[in-house]
Amino acid sequence: MADALLVVEQLEVVYQRVITAVQGVSLRVEKGQIVALLGTNGAGKTTTLRAISGFIGMDDARVTEGTVTYKGERIENLPPHGVTSLGIVLVPERQKVFENLTVAENLDANVARVVKGFDRKRLAASVYEYFPALARLRSREAGYLSGGERQMLGIGAALMCAPEMLLVDELSLGLSPIMVSELMQRLLAIRRELGTTILLVEQNAQVALDIADYGYVIENGRIVLDGTPERLSSHQDIKEFYLGGGSTRRSYRDVKQYRRSRRWYG
Amino acid sequence: MPSASGYFRTHYGEDTRLLDTRTKRVCYALLVVILVALPFVASAFLLDLANQVYLAIIGAVALMLLTGYAGQISLGHAGLMAAGAFTAGILFKEVNAPFWITLPASGLVGATIGVIFGLPSLRLRGLYLAVSTLALHFIVIYAGGEYETKRGFSTGVIIAPPRIGSWTLEDPIAWYFVLGLFAAAALLFGLNLLRSRTGRAWRAIRGRETVAEALGIPVARYKLAAFVVSSMMTSVAGCLFAYYRGFVSAEAFSLFLTIQYVAMVIIGGIGSMLGAVLGAVFVVLFPYAIEALTQVLPTPAAWANAVFAINYAAFGLVMILFLLFEPQGLVGIWRRIQNYFLLWPFKQAPLSKGR
Amino acid sequence: MQLTINIVVLAAIYALICCGYVLIYRVSRVMSLAHGELMMLGAYGLFATAGTFSGHPLIAIAVAAVLATMVGVLVYVALMRSMTGEAVLAAVLATIALGIFLRGAMVLVWSAQEQHPIRLLGWTNSAVSIGETARISAAALVLVVVTALAYLSLYFFLKYTVWGIRMRAAGQNPLLAAQRGIGLHGIYALAWALATFTGGIAGMLIASDTALDQTMIIIGLKAFPAALVGGLDSLLGALIGSLIVAAAEVLMIHYIDPLLADVVPFFVLLVFLIVRPWGLYGSKEELDRV
Repeated sequence: MADALLVVEQLEVVYQRVITAVQGVSLRVEKGQIVALLGTNGAGKTTTLRAISGFIGMDDARVTEGTVTYKGERIENLPPHGVTSLGIVLVPERQKVFENLTVAENLDANVARVVKGFDRKRLAASVYEYFPALARLRSREAGYLSGGERQMLGIGAALMCAPEMLLVDELSLGLSPIMVSELMQRLLAIRRELGTTILLVEQNAQVALDIADYGYVIENGRIVLDGTPERLSSHQDIKEFYLGGGSTRRSYRDVKQYRRSRRWYG
Repeated sequence: MPSASGYFRTHYGEDTRLLDTRTKRVCYALLVVILVALPFVASAFLLDLANQVYLAIIGAVALMLLTGYAGQISLGHAGLMAAGAFTAGILFKEVNAPFWITLPASGLVGATIGVIFGLPSLRLRGLYLAVSTLALHFIVIYAGGEYETKRGFSTGVIIAPPRIGSWTLEDPIAWYFVLGLFAAAALLFGLNLLRSRTGRAWRAIRGRETVAEALGIPVARYKLAAFVVSSMMTSVAGCLFAYYRGFVSAEAFSLFLTIQYVAMVIIGGIGSMLGAVLGAVFVVLFPYAIEALTQVLPTPAAWANAVFAINYAAFGLVMILFLLFEPQGLVGIWRRIQNYFLLWPFKQAPLSKGR
Repeated sequence: MQLTINIVVLAAIYALICCGYVLIYRVSRVMSLAHGELMMLGAYGLFATAGTFSGHPLIAIAVAAVLATMVGVLVYVALMRSMTGEAVLAAVLATIALGIFLRGAMVLVWSAQEQHPIRLLGWTNSAVSIGETARISAAALVLVVVTALAYLSLYFFLKYTVWGIRMRAAGQNPLLAAQRGIGLHGIYALAWALATFTGGIAGMLIASDTALDQTMIIIGLKAFPAALVGGLDSLLGALIGSLIVAAAEVLMIHYIDPLLADVVPFFVLLVFLIVRPWGLYGSKEELDRV
C-alpha cells in the first residue's frame, strides 16, 4: 500500500466545463512495475494520461474530482514541466518529436530532473545504445524519420529527462507488429536496467499484456476490470473484444448482441 | 442574451428580430427622442463632441464588422479614412465636384482599395494580413502627402461646406442630424448584414476558417466582401470627416488614429455592435476626460505642454487594462450589470464547481 | 560606392531590429508592434545612464544594455505572460497598446526634445573615409559590426547551446516542450529579453548616429517588412530581407524621390506578399497555423 509510486483515485475530468471524459478512474502503479491501461477509442485512456502528466489545463479541461498522488505528493494541478521535473515523463501519442530539430538536438533539448551525478552525455550514449538506429540518424531532422524511428526518438528523448516513471501513449499505433514487439523488448530492457516504472496505454491488448505486470481495462471513462495479465487474458470478454478470436467464432450479429449485454464482473 | 423568465421565443423569426421585447422598443424610442432633443439644449462644445462620436461610430462599426465579426485584423483604418477624405478633397479641388458626387466616389474608392488589399487576405492570415494593411496605410498617406506637395497645398486641402441645391450644410445642428443619420444608417446596415447569411458566414470564418470552408461557405468571397464593405464604410466616414472639418491633410490620419479605432473595438467589446457604439463614445470622450483630470489633479509643471503624451500613455494603459481584465470590453461590463438586475433577487452562485 | 555603404548601413539597422521580431515570433507566434518604442526606450536608457555615470561611458553602455534586457523580461512578465494561450490577435493588440503607452510615457519623462546621448558620453561621431569618395560615420561602422556580431552569436546560440535548442523546440511545439520539462514562461521571457536587448542596442546606436527622437518608432515599423520579406521565423531570411528592403529604399531615395523613404519598405513587402506570402525562408505551413 505505502510503496505505490503513483496512485490515481476516483479521477474525474471535465472538458470545457461540460463534457465528462473520465469518471471514477482509480489505479495504482507500484515502483518498478509495468502497468497496462487498456481500452478502445474514446474510453478515456489518453485523458487519464493527460491528467497525470499535467497537460489537462491546456485543453480547457480540468480535474474536477479525485486525486493523482505521486510519491505521496498531489500532482493533479501541476503544469507539465512541473510533473516532468518530478520524474514523470509522457511519450505522447502523436507529435512526439520536434520535427525541425535533428535527432541529437531532440535529445539535447530536454530538461532533466535534478539527479545527483547526472551526465547528459552518458545518458545520451545509453539512449543510442537502446536504440542503435538513432545513432546513425543523429544529424537527420526528426521530420524525416519513419514512424518507428520517431517512436524510438520519442522514448529516447523522454529518457533524457531522467524519468522515474514513463507514460507511454499508444506505442503500437501505426507500427508493424515486428517493430512493436521490438520496442516492447526495449521497454523491458529500460525497466530492467534503469529501474524505470512504466505505465503503458494501449489499444493492442495482446502486446501490452505480454510485458505488463498488471493491467487495467477502462471503458466509458471508468475502470471496469483489473488484474494480472494472466487473469485478464483468460477473461472471456477481453478475449472477445481485445485479443480477437475467443473460444468460438460468432457471426457479427451475435457479437453486437453480446456487446450490449456485456458483463464486467468476472 | 438571457431574458427574464416568462418570455419565450415561439418561432425562428423572433430570434433575428432587432427589437424583440416591448421594453426594448420603449427604451430605444426614448433614446431616439433624447438624441433628437439634444442639439437644442447642448452647448456648441457638446454638439461638436456628439458629432465626433457619430463620425467615430461609422468607422467603428466598419472595423467591428471586419475585425470583430469576420476576424480579420486591419491596421489600415486611418489609411482608408484618408483615402475617403482625399478623394473628396481632390475631386473638390480639381473638378469642383459637389457633395453628392464626392460622397459616393469616396465610397467607391474605398471599395476598390478594399478589393485590392482584401485580395492578399485570401492567401494571408493573421499577422501577415495586419502588416499588409499597415502597408496600405503608409502608401495612402504617402500618396496624399505627395498630392499636397505637388499641388502646393503644403498644409492641407481646404474644402468648402457641402451644398445640396441652394442649401449649405454648415450649421452644427444640421451637421448633428446628418451625421446622426449616417451613423444610424451604418449601425442598421451592420446589424442587418449580421443577421443575414453574410453575417453568419463571417462568424463562421472567424471561428475557424478551415471548418467554414468545409461547411460549404465560400470563404474567399465572404472575406473579400468583409473587406469591401468595411473599407467602403470607412472611406465614407473619411469623406464626411473631411467635409465636417472643412480641411484635409495627411497629418490628420496618423497611425494613432488607426490605434484609436482598434481601441474602440477592444474597449467596446469584440463581436458586438453595441460595443462599437460604446467604444466610439469612450474613445472620443477619453482625451477630454484626461484633460479635465489633469486640470483637477496636481501634475508636474513639465507636463503642461505634453497633454498629448498624457493622453497616449493613459490611452495605452486603459487598452492594456481592458485586454488583461475585461476582454469582453464595455459590453461585458454592461451585460453583467444587466444580468445582475435581471436575475436580481434570485441570483446565486453557479451550480457547477468548474466555474 | 557611397550608395553601397548607405545600403549596408541601413540593412544593418533593419537587420538588428529584425532580430527582435524574429525571436519573438519564433517562440510565441506573436509580432511585437511595440518594438520601435522598446528600441527608443533602450536609447533613452543610455541617455539616462550617460547622465548618471558621466565620465565612464563604458559603464553607462553596459548598464543601459542590462536595463534594456530587464525591460524585456518585465514586458513579458507583466503583460505578455497573461496573453499566452489567448488568440494571437489579442497578443498583437496588447503590444500595440504597450507601444502607445510607452510613447506617451517616454515623452512625459524625457520630453519630446531631440537628444544626443553620444554627446553625454563625451564622444563625437566622426566620419571615417573609405576609399577616395565614400565616408561612413563611426557610429554607423560600429552598428554594422554589432549587427554582424549579433547575428553570429544568435546563430551559435540557437544552433549549439542547450538553451538555444530549447528555444527552437518551444517555438515549434510548445506542448511537447512543456512536457519535456522545458518551462515555457522562462523561454518566452528569454526571447523577449533578447529581443529588447538587440532592439535596445539598435536604438542606442541609431541615436548615436543621428539623434534620439520620435522617428525611431517609424524606423522600427519600417524594419517589419524586412523581417516579413525574410519569412519572420528565419534569421538568415531576416538578414537577406533587410538587404533587399534597404537596397530598394536607398536606390529609390537616390534616384526617384526622398519622400519615398517611409513607403518603399511597404511597397517591397506588398510585392512579396503577392508573389511569395510566406517570405523567402519562412516555412509554408506556418501560414495555416496562425
